[in-house]
Amino acid sequence: MSAGKPGFRDVLQALDGAGELLRVPKPVDPRYVSGLTAQSKQATLFESISGYPDWRLAGALLSTRRRLAVAMGCSERDIATRFEEGVRHPIDARLVTDAPCQDVVVEGDGVDLTSIPIPLMHVKDGGPYISATLVVSKDPEYGRNVGSYRLMYRTPRETGIDLVSPSDMRRYYQRALDQGRPLEIAVAVGVHPFEMLAASYKAPIDIDEFAIAGGLHGKPVELVRCRTVDLEVPADAEFVLEGELLPIGWTVDEGPFGEFSHITGDIKWNPVFRVKCITRRRDPIFYMLQMPWENDWLAAPVTEAAGLQALRVASVEPVAIRAPVGGCGYWTLIASIRKRPGEGKNALLALLSVAEVKLAIVTDDDINIYDPDDLDWALTFRVQADHDVLVVSGARGKHIDPSVKAWATGKGGLPTTAKLGIDATIPEGVPRSQYERLRYFARDALRLDDYL
Amino acid sequence: MSPLATRIVEMLRERPRHFAEIAEAHMEVPWREFLQAWAEVRGSAMVGRHEYGLYTIKDSQEDRR
Repeated sequence: MSAGKPGFRDVLQALDGAGELLRVPKPVDPRYVSGLTAQSKQATLFESISGYPDWRLAGALLSTRRRLAVAMGCSERDIATRFEEGVRHPIDARLVTDAPCQDVVVEGDGVDLTSIPIPLMHVKDGGPYISATLVVSKDPEYGRNVGSYRLMYRTPRETGIDLVSPSDMRRYYQRALDQGRPLEIAVAVGVHPFEMLAASYKAPIDIDEFAIAGGLHGKPVELVRCRTVDLEVPADAEFVLEGELLPIGWTVDEGPFGEFSHITGDIKWNPVFRVKCITRRRDPIFYMLQMPWENDWLAAPVTEAAGLQALRVASVEPVAIRAPVGGCGYWTLIASIRKRPGEGKNALLALLSVAEVKLAIVTDDDINIYDPDDLDWALTFRVQADHDVLVVSGARGKHIDPSVKAWATGKGGLPTTAKLGIDATIPEGVPRSQYERLRYFARDALRLDDYL
Repeated sequence: MSPLATRIVEMLRERPRHFAEIAEAHMEVPWREFLQAWAEVRGSAMVGRHEYGLYTIKDSQEDRR
């Protein structure tokens, strides 16, 4: 580990130390890495890539809650609070001049995306994808933005980019498009998960995501100026693509792609990213975000932290929160709260305001929300459907949910969704004693072993 | 157009195909070489998209506009 904050390679080391990394020594074709990673019970590091002698490739680093906890240096239950704590104490990034990500610089006619081992991932993908991106852009008024957007290989100098969903960068691009100019972007691949989490976090438009990542690290993120665009990227990235989104709007085919919703998405209409410069380490590691689990576990702490914040803003005291894998860490929030009268509904309204969350369940603090049976019990005995179920129509939706029928919105269109809230807290007017669990006579005084 | 790119176009003329199906038919070709040929095909303006994401070859000059 360097004297500064930990980087991508430190995460690989931590996973290795925790027995969570499989090293694959034999040469592997980039067309096979995703399929092989899908068979591994650990994160996977391919140490030899056929046709790409300088490169290694790593994937599925965060495909389980345990691996995410290892990467974040905390327990699995503390992930949301750990993330929220970092968000609340941002640390500004600092500029450096010495950057491993610029060991090798290729620009002009030398730019060739086929020099990078971009993997073929899923059966119905529209092409090979760069899935683990940290995309930096800048707007003259709002400043820097960092997000994560997948890139589909098109030609040695062009990729598609999925810019359909509402985001700050989509707004930046629209503003540039309105002025008929391209939007410069820089894409860093192979960065620490804290940078990825910060990029996924829907921060207010004037908040720098690199400062949030600094808050998560407890140290500033070190940035270096790009070579051909007026942007900065993490100095310790494995490789960086510099270039611009062409001012053509949402007009070019992109996708399908195996989405984090576990299904193949639609073909979409998107802008094109033209690459002007590639910078990289001398011995780069391509980071392949293995869909869907790795994306889901990256989404979960962000959704959970946003839920905690929403509850606190609503003056509701949260006890635990969970964005379950069944909702892809994104569409569902389950929270237990220390409730005062009426706060079951207040909590639902708060949770349903988070991003595209479309199902929220709120319980009391005696329910273990990590235990599905305990949650079912609360839903069964604390809910009266005519009083405790809330439906909100016409809220902001997300394309990759087939039930929103996004294809009907046309090129660049945005879908809407209905939201469902279930208040599974003890109803007002029902004494808590009604929910006292049965207890066995003399249970604690007895030992079964004494009778065997 | 390179011989490999021409072969890909011929495959697509037979029927619409997913990208992976085309890639799988050329596993003997190094990935880098395949991607360069694929770029030639995509750049030719002959390629269209089926609504389910399959690649097709457009039938006429009119379709290519």
